[in-house]
Amino acid sequence: MRLFRLACLTAALCCLALRPVPAAAAPEGALTWAVHITLAPTFFDPAETPGLITPFMVLFAMHDALVKPMPGQPMAPSLAESWSLSKDGLTYEFVLRKGARFHNGEPVTAEDVRYSFTRYKGANNKTLKERVTSVEAVDDRRVRFRLKQPWPDFMTFYATPATGAAWIVPKKYVEQVGADGFKKAPIGAGPYKFVSFKPGVELVLEAFEGYWRKTPAVKTLTLRTIPDESTRLAALKRGEVDIAYSITGALAEELKRTQKLTLVPTYIPFTSWLHPSEQWDPKSPWHDVRVRRAANLAIDRDAINQAAYLGLAKVTSSIIPHKMEYFWQPPAPKFDPARAKKLLAEAGYANGFDAGELSGDTVYGVALGEPAVNYLNAVGIRAKLRIMERAAYYGQYQDKKLRGVLYTGSAAFGNAATRLDNYVMGGGTYAYGSHPDIDGLFTEQVNEMNPRVRQQILHKIQQMVDERAMFIPLMEPAFLNGVGARVDNHGLNVIAGFAYSAPYEDLRLKKK
Amino acid sequence: MKRFVLRRLGYAALSLCMLSLMIFLFVRVTGDPTVLLVEPGASRDDLAALRTELGLDRPLVVQYVSFVKDVVRGDFGRSFYYRTPVLELYASRLPNSLLLAVAAMAFSLLIGIPSGILAAIRVGGWWDRGGKIFGLLGLSMPSFWVGLLLILFFSVYLGWLPSSGSGTVLHVLMPAFALGWYFAAAHMRMTRSSMLEVLGSEYVKLARLKGLPEALVITKHAFKNALIPVLTLAGINLVLMVNVAVVVETVFAWPGIGRLLYEGVAFRDFPVVQATVLLSGSMIVVVNLVVDILYAVIDPRIRYER
Repeated sequence: MRLFRLACLTAALCCLALRPVPAAAAPEGALTWAVHITLAPTFFDPAETPGLITPFMVLFAMHDALVKPMPGQPMAPSLAESWSLSKDGLTYEFVLRKGARFHNGEPVTAEDVRYSFTRYKGANNKTLKERVTSVEAVDDRRVRFRLKQPWPDFMTFYATPATGAAWIVPKKYVEQVGADGFKKAPIGAGPYKFVSFKPGVELVLEAFEGYWRKTPAVKTLTLRTIPDESTRLAALKRGEVDIAYSITGALAEELKRTQKLTLVPTYIPFTSWLHPSEQWDPKSPWHDVRVRRAANLAIDRDAINQAAYLGLAKVTSSIIPHKMEYFWQPPAPKFDPARAKKLLAEAGYANGFDAGELSGDTVYGVALGEPAVNYLNAVGIRAKLRIMERAAYYGQYQDKKLRGVLYTGSAAFGNAATRLDNYVMGGGTYAYGSHPDIDGLFTEQVNEMNPRVRQQILHKIQQMVDERAMFIPLMEPAFLNGVGARVDNHGLNVIAGFAYSAPYEDLRLKKK
Repeated sequence: MKRFVLRRLGYAALSLCMLSLMIFLFVRVTGDPTVLLVEPGASRDDLAALRTELGLDRPLVVQYVSFVKDVVRGDFGRSFYYRTPVLELYASRLPNSLLLAVAAMAFSLLIGIPSGILAAIRVGGWWDRGGKIFGLLGLSMPSFWVGLLLILFFSVYLGWLPSSGSGTVLHVLMPAFALGWYFAAAHMRMTRSSMLEVLGSEYVKLARLKGLPEALVITKHAFKNALIPVLTLAGINLVLMVNVAVVVETVFAWPGIGRLLYEGVAFRDFPVVQATVLLSGSMIVVVNLVVDILYAVIDPRIRYER
């Protein structure tokens, strides 16, 4: 009887397996974006990925990676169906997916993976290449990365937008046309094929029906550059575009009020904060932790959020974005000017003090720095806003030439460790000083391969940063976008930490 | 004449040398471009690698000598942002800018010259007063604002014209109007003052004394002569329209040289800014050189005086 049941079950499963699968519907229709930045041919070649999120707007369409962020998964298997790490922590082995092909019909091979890694020269290239001794194509479907020493952040750098090294290009084709030729007619393994590019105007893509994950639903995608946000909104209202990126302030309010249009915020790993750079100087009032705590209590982050981002940003009390790996959740920020004044009085500044300048850049320094200065002034921390041009500002920031309170923010990819490395550790690019005990803890976790132990250490460090009020965190700003009436699935906010529409193969238009 | 032309050529070459040095230094005063080519908070290693890749880690003098050598060979370098040769970028944008400039110039002349003539022949009349208001508005209303008003009215409310982009005749109408608006006012004012000067001259008085009809006096005798300074101004304005329509091209997403310059400035793309300014400067220098030589050919006193 058991055998009979088993036979019936097997037969039923076979029937299910052999039943005709409805063919995927052919892609149809067109989606158009109004993009806020100018697309550059360098975005078409993953090897040149700069340290910006912008090129991934194109990479997600034209190319595919071994591992990449996908809905619900910060590191999802894509061209690699699986990967493993050797016990000694020195070798990563990736197994490629069967049937994955480039747009020219060639299969994606281990040699393409090796070649793509070798020719990579974009962001964090040095960090990556210094730690990887070799990449071997074991066979057509297996590729091995050998590390100099165990490196817990290998996947953080390889498989996230921290680099474009995991995005695969066809070796034969690139060698045939050269790097410049590749940028003129790129071929990838992504869900959309390159059709045409008019510099400064638009990029047109067409659905690749042979994409391994699924056949895209929309046939044609057009990314149209419209630098002025009023014009982007006008184009969205008129139906010339379906999705408009980056609509801010009053225009965002107007977008929200417009019937049939939807305002959709997205978030990248971006946090903004004030940095009391003089806290390391014993003569400065900022040296006293009570003053720094007072500054933290003086600012009404919710009000700033409402004014600048229609309440759609996330107020925070950490410089680490809440979605970032190894993030530790500090107590929520409070707005308590009375307590702030009391702390200042306890620190010996009952009548406040002259805090010098609060410097910021022309972009966020104005939007967030200006209200922050007003709130600080209100409790007696008398600061003057000094806005500098962005390139000059960050140049001086890195050179540690600025004094007073500095408005800053970071959208660099990585994890809590990489962000702490830049802003908290001694010798960090943007660190004006450091605590030896924190530095010691940080060194401990650098080569720690046990994620739980590493998490404990990184949480401890973040706790110490919070207790010492080293920063005055403000918020994780929102990136506001408009979506038109024709769009069913816009793909915004689907992949955590990604500002744009993706995955493109999932996008859908409403049925007529 | 030969000496005059040689001297002018020398001045032109000197102007371009000075321009190249000034633009090279000025763009570098604005700060480190690498911080704009990465997300805020990038590591020092990444920024240093980028500086090396872009050649910004070399001493300033070495960078300048290399820049001049390349320019002499016709190589304006590779864009930091686009990573393609700047000359290719410039060449791809030039036809769009020429199209926009010609359309805007046609608009500005069609409006500016007739209204200037009418204002001059009816001095103090309602047409003259209206022309003054038009001139004031044209010169004082920023072109980005005019552009946004046009988009709101013709694209959003009426739905007649595309809000931005390029490719069809309809696309060029609004940017040409927004760009030509300012120049129409300038041409109107120049035509008016030039016509007034000519209408007050002896030969026009003679023509009137001879009993010629007023229409003939204006069209045949006054207008032709009054047109010379207007056309000289229009020639230089055309060069400006091609090269500095930064705001209009940005508002209308028009892929011209003005927007290339805007992108170059926004990203501190030194090679793009250097090339755009230098090539625009070259155009102005060449136009002035040609005008100077033509003046000298027409009026020998000029070449002897200078």
